[in-house]
Amino acid sequence: MHIPDGYLSPQTCAVMYAAAVPIWVTAGRRVKQVVTNRYVPLLAMGAAYCFLVMMFNIPVPDGTSAHAVGAVLVAILLGPWAAVIAVSIALAIQALFFGDGGVLAYGANVVNMAFLMPMTGYATYRLLSTGTALTAKRRAVAAGLGAYVGINMAALATAIEFGLQPTLFHSADGTPLYAPFHLSHTIPAMALAHLTIAGTVEFALTFGVIAYLQRANLPILRINHENVPEDEADLPAPVTPRIRWRWAAIALGAMVLLTPLGLLAPGGAFGEDAPEELDLAKYHLNAVPEGLNHYAGFWHNALFDGYAFSGDSHPVIGYLVSAVVGILVAGAVILGLVASLRLWRNDDSANPRPEPTGVTT
Amino acid sequence: MIAGGATPEWLLQGQVGICPCGCIGTRRKGNVIEKTINGGSRLVRQVLFAEDVAATDGLLQRLDPRVKLVTLLGLLITTAFVHHVSVLIGLYAVTLAMATAAGLSLGLFVKRVWLFIPIFTGIVVIPAMFSFITPGEIVVPFGTWFGHPVGMTMQGLTSAALMVSRVAVSISLVVLLTLTTPWNRLLAALRSVGVPRLFVMVLAMAYRYILHLLDAVADLYVARKARMVRPDADVATSRRFVASSAGALFGRSHALSEEVHLAMVARGYIGEVHVLTQPRPATRDLWWTVLCVAVAVTALGVDHLL
Repeated sequence: MHIPDGYLSPQTCAVMYAAAVPIWVTAGRRVKQVVTNRYVPLLAMGAAYCFLVMMFNIPVPDGTSAHAVGAVLVAILLGPWAAVIAVSIALAIQALFFGDGGVLAYGANVVNMAFLMPMTGYATYRLLSTGTALTAKRRAVAAGLGAYVGINMAALATAIEFGLQPTLFHSADGTPLYAPFHLSHTIPAMALAHLTIAGTVEFALTFGVIAYLQRANLPILRINHENVPEDEADLPAPVTPRIRWRWAAIALGAMVLLTPLGLLAPGGAFGEDAPEELDLAKYHLNAVPEGLNHYAGFWHNALFDGYAFSGDSHPVIGYLVSAVVGILVAGAVILGLVASLRLWRNDDSANPRPEPTGVTT
Repeated sequence: MIAGGATPEWLLQGQVGICPCGCIGTRRKGNVIEKTINGGSRLVRQVLFAEDVAATDGLLQRLDPRVKLVTLLGLLITTAFVHHVSVLIGLYAVTLAMATAAGLSLGLFVKRVWLFIPIFTGIVVIPAMFSFITPGEIVVPFGTWFGHPVGMTMQGLTSAALMVSRVAVSISLVVLLTLTTPWNRLLAALRSVGVPRLFVMVLAMAYRYILHLLDAVADLYVARKARMVRPDADVATSRRFVASSAGALFGRSHALSEEVHLAMVARGYIGEVHVLTQPRPATRDLWWTVLCVAVAVTALGVDHLL
């Protein structure tokens, strides 16, 4: 995913550098606040670690192996803003000293791999791991899934940057001046490679490292998880959030009271009463596929066909009755769902979770 | 069954393996442990090679690092703006001349540049040569497809040539810069052209850590290899080992950073950073700058006229 020089136009590179600068400024400020004067060696270590992680060959099932980026892993271990700086430095070393990734394309590489990847990955991880103990298996899986999401977002951004080149930069006779593939080629190609191999590798590494640290070196995980309880037993009792029914009820009630407005308003709903007034041909929408058309009117047993009793003899009463019945049915379905969810949750918390996979001898 | 003394057939078959990741040529389903050890030693070899070259006496080595950084960066930007293959070939000749002036062996320089990114680029752009991806004037017809003529187009071929040559020139320029400048001088040059001090300092420390931590990785992997009769048959086991070693490495890295921090504080570190003082640029730096500006102006001028 390292973009070399020559793939992107200089204009794109300039835009990506411009996007990277505020990211670095924010990251520098945020990291200084958190780790004070210890941050220089800590960040240097993060960068060196990130560089080395990119060297590890991780076996994939077809018998070969591939490299991971490790940005989400560093984000989970040191925090997302520290990861931004650490991965940026690792990329700088690769670009300057080892010719991996371009110097002009460095801004683009930073935005993709040092910003989008750790940020989206870390957000996913946080979302999936809330309310779990530090040693919970779910936390390691959440880390792996975060890495999977992160690398795919970075790949998508890279694909978009590549795919825009032929559209924006070509000569008078249509010769693409930089990367020649359009979005319709770059996005599927990158998605295929990263949803399968690269994503799996990233998942395996991140999940594996977090699982290892959970059983062998918990203090390391503490760097970025200060207040997370260590064990299931230490978790605070889950607080069932009190649902504020009142405001929802008021809003819904107001909408119910407003339903007769439809009867007072002149004219009909656009295109509903008289579909012919919609000139679909004007929008090139008149070609309904045969199969779809076949199912257009397959249900003839509606209770209130056309929001009225059969025959449409009392249109006003029919309209109001169908409104009331509709509200009651929708309310009953939602309440039923909530009740079953609650039942399922209580059932879950009543059963003790399996032992955390920690403690090896 | 093998006849006595004859070498088995499969052992004589040469395998092309251009790319270390196995995406080009026959995939070597090598052992993960060996691959990582080899990767590590390749890295160290590259670092040592660069330091050796930077220590030799050559025109580029004698230039002021700041001047070299700015001029080569200028040429890199020029390269990005050039839209004709012929001009790019001219620029490539200039980089070869510069490599000769730096006393680099041309064979090594060409190999270092072309393996493997330009070759990889050449393979990636092959589909773009065809009329499916890049429509235009067909010069190598491949018959028809549902009544439409298909084949390689002029536009596609030009675009592919542009990509490969631009990538090669860009990499040559970066390699010239990093091979002829000791890394601490390069970092000082980065600092003096306005890269933030913090960034340069973290970069410098990270570079040192990498070489140090690489030792730890090599120890882990060599110890593992020494205890193995044959490669792990089971992917899950070896993946578990890789992940665990990466986890253990993080523990070591963190302990190291704590120690380094304590050592820094013990030596009076209060959050300020001092960088190497730079010598004044000499006359030859001026001449070099004039030369590079001339090359850039000529390249852009010719590109504009073509």
